[in-house]
Amino acid sequence: MNPRLIGSLVQKDLSIFFRNRFFAIITVLGIIAYLVVYFAMPGAVDDTLEIGIYSPVSIPAFAKLDEEGLEFVVVSSEEQLRQAVIDGEFIAGISLPPDTLTHLIAGKRPGVNVFFGADAPPEIKDAVVVVIQELGYAATGQTLDIDVSEEVLGLDLGGTPLPPRDRLRPLLAVMLIMVETMGLATLISAEIERRTINALLVTPATVADVFIAKGIAGISLAFGQAALFMAIVGGLSQQPLVVLTALLLGAILVIAAGFIIGAVAKDMLSVLAWSLPVIIILIIPSLAIAFPGSVTGWVEALPTHYLVDTVHRASNFGSGWGDVWQNLLILAGFDLALAWTGVAVLRRRMR
Amino acid sequence: MSLRRIGVLLGKELFTGPKNFIFVWAIVAPVAISFVVSLIFGTLFSEQPRLGIVDEGGSQLTTIGRETAAITLREYGSVTDLRQAVESGSVDMGIILPAGFDAAVRQREETSVTAFIWGESSSRSRTILGVTIVNLVREIAGQEPPIEVDSITLGEEVTIPWNERLLPFIVLMAVFLGGLFLPATSIINEKEKRTLTALLITPTTPEDVFLTKGIVGIVLSLFSGVVILLLNQAFGAQPLLLVMVLALGAVMAAGMGLLMGIALKDVTTLFAVWKLGGILLFGPAFIYMFPKIPQWIGRLFPTYYILQPIVEISQRGAGLEAIATNITILIVLDLLLLGAVALSLRRAKRVAALG
Repeated sequence: MNPRLIGSLVQKDLSIFFRNRFFAIITVLGIIAYLVVYFAMPGAVDDTLEIGIYSPVSIPAFAKLDEEGLEFVVVSSEEQLRQAVIDGEFIAGISLPPDTLTHLIAGKRPGVNVFFGADAPPEIKDAVVVVIQELGYAATGQTLDIDVSEEVLGLDLGGTPLPPRDRLRPLLAVMLIMVETMGLATLISAEIERRTINALLVTPATVADVFIAKGIAGISLAFGQAALFMAIVGGLSQQPLVVLTALLLGAILVIAAGFIIGAVAKDMLSVLAWSLPVIIILIIPSLAIAFPGSVTGWVEALPTHYLVDTVHRASNFGSGWGDVWQNLLILAGFDLALAWTGVAVLRRRMR
Repeated sequence: MSLRRIGVLLGKELFTGPKNFIFVWAIVAPVAISFVVSLIFGTLFSEQPRLGIVDEGGSQLTTIGRETAAITLREYGSVTDLRQAVESGSVDMGIILPAGFDAAVRQREETSVTAFIWGESSSRSRTILGVTIVNLVREIAGQEPPIEVDSITLGEEVTIPWNERLLPFIVLMAVFLGGLFLPATSIINEKEKRTLTALLITPTTPEDVFLTKGIVGIVLSLFSGVVILLLNQAFGAQPLLLVMVLALGAVMAAGMGLLMGIALKDVTTLFAVWKLGGILLFGPAFIYMFPKIPQWIGRLFPTYYILQPIVEISQRGAGLEAIATNITILIVLDLLLLGAVALSLRRAKRVAALG
């Protein structure tokens, strides 16, 4: 193995990669687009239903229901309440007539006006109505004799869920890595088709040098972009070493896939045709993190599940080596198996 | 131009087309994007909390719970399934209703319910679910709602939901991916492999070849557009009118594809042009997504005249009268584009660019 020669080959591959306008544009625009998508997503979750209330009389039961996830803000007039709802300050506004409490105590059904903004979704309207009825039941002292035993499953975030942008972060990072499958596969496919790889082997470069150089070029592109993205969006603020290790193992996975595709594809369209299904399949586990419940347990059969799960847990919840070592081990196993297959397929093709 | 030759060429294109990557991708990509959009706006931004139930005794709560818009209700066959659903975040909360639950509630007997809560659910969802469940139980117990609620909607501006805002983008993507790419890549490939030269040695004329490729592009584009509208249940009350607009859009896409096929040398350049030119094609769709941008800017883009009638018909129930002006402009644009294709073809023939 000749490190100087490998360095030159890596340099050559990177310059060829960026000479291809399609991949150069995809690479630069890709990172920008992912950053735009990330920052366009909400950075915080509005986990409280804020309801304005105008009540000329005090109803004690209404104050008692002011619990987590529900906040009542008292305003001084109905006009102020209407304006606040129109301005979007409250999701809904409850206007209680002065005789509400008297009617409730007397067993009559008081009429209550509830104001909604024009953009309030039907589920919120229904939910607010249900909340108001519950306030009424509480005010009239109607109780239910039910014993509820609660159990929180999974990591308890105490009612404050992850913001959408943080939930999407592992998906975006993994997509950045996966797209590089196409770039490496094109480099290899072009070398084989133009027979420049045979020309290279006439020089002092060995087959191992060529494979290592291609691998390093691919890893630099895939890992470099994902690491840069994670650094910019704050994905390395918790457990950076764990996140970077997972991304590196993910990049090796992509290199292996690129070797295999590069060996079977004939031209750029063929690379696209082979790469896209592979990329789509490998991205599926990321959807399970980004959109909980969208896919079932079979995703654990895919190697990227162990990548995205590690990135998600480490960057969002601060999980350390002790929590994710099994994921990393399985991912490394997949890497070895796929890299071996990739090198074998490519050797066969070169022959 | 010979109709028989065009028929033969069309048969060949339609037979070999499905083996072509672009052909398959033109159908798969919009469907995939549509799927992702429905995932994002059905899951990530949905404000409707999800409740899972294991109903061991056929409780009425399951039936009436389905009718409330405040929550989404899913039923599970076993406690294991429910636990798994809560753990994975499929539902925000899961409850197990024991056999005889309804009878116990009606007789005011003490009863117990087990609830699983997804650790990552929001306190808003937890509160809504808790209150809704209690409300449903009260209904079973026969407790009358103590308050008469009158819901009043303030303001006139009705916000367009995001999945509707994104629909024009997906439709344009469906129409242009197949309509533009298929003729363009097909011509570029024929030029690169020199099969076009071989073809033109036969009595087939360049017009026959280009017309065939254009027709295939239009058919694929129209097909993808219809599929996307069907998937998004956005056909509105005037499906024929909508198909007519899609067909005119498909003509524009295929015309652009033919022009690019004549002008560009390789597929790499085509992808680069698509990357940059995509802004022009999808500009109106982006402007539609953000109502605060002055909407007149959209009129500067040719694809506006496809998009606007589609939005009018599918989302606002408009008829031919309401979209007549835009349709006329679209037809004029299509004719101008076809004229440009004819001119380019003549010029290309003259400089022997095709051979």
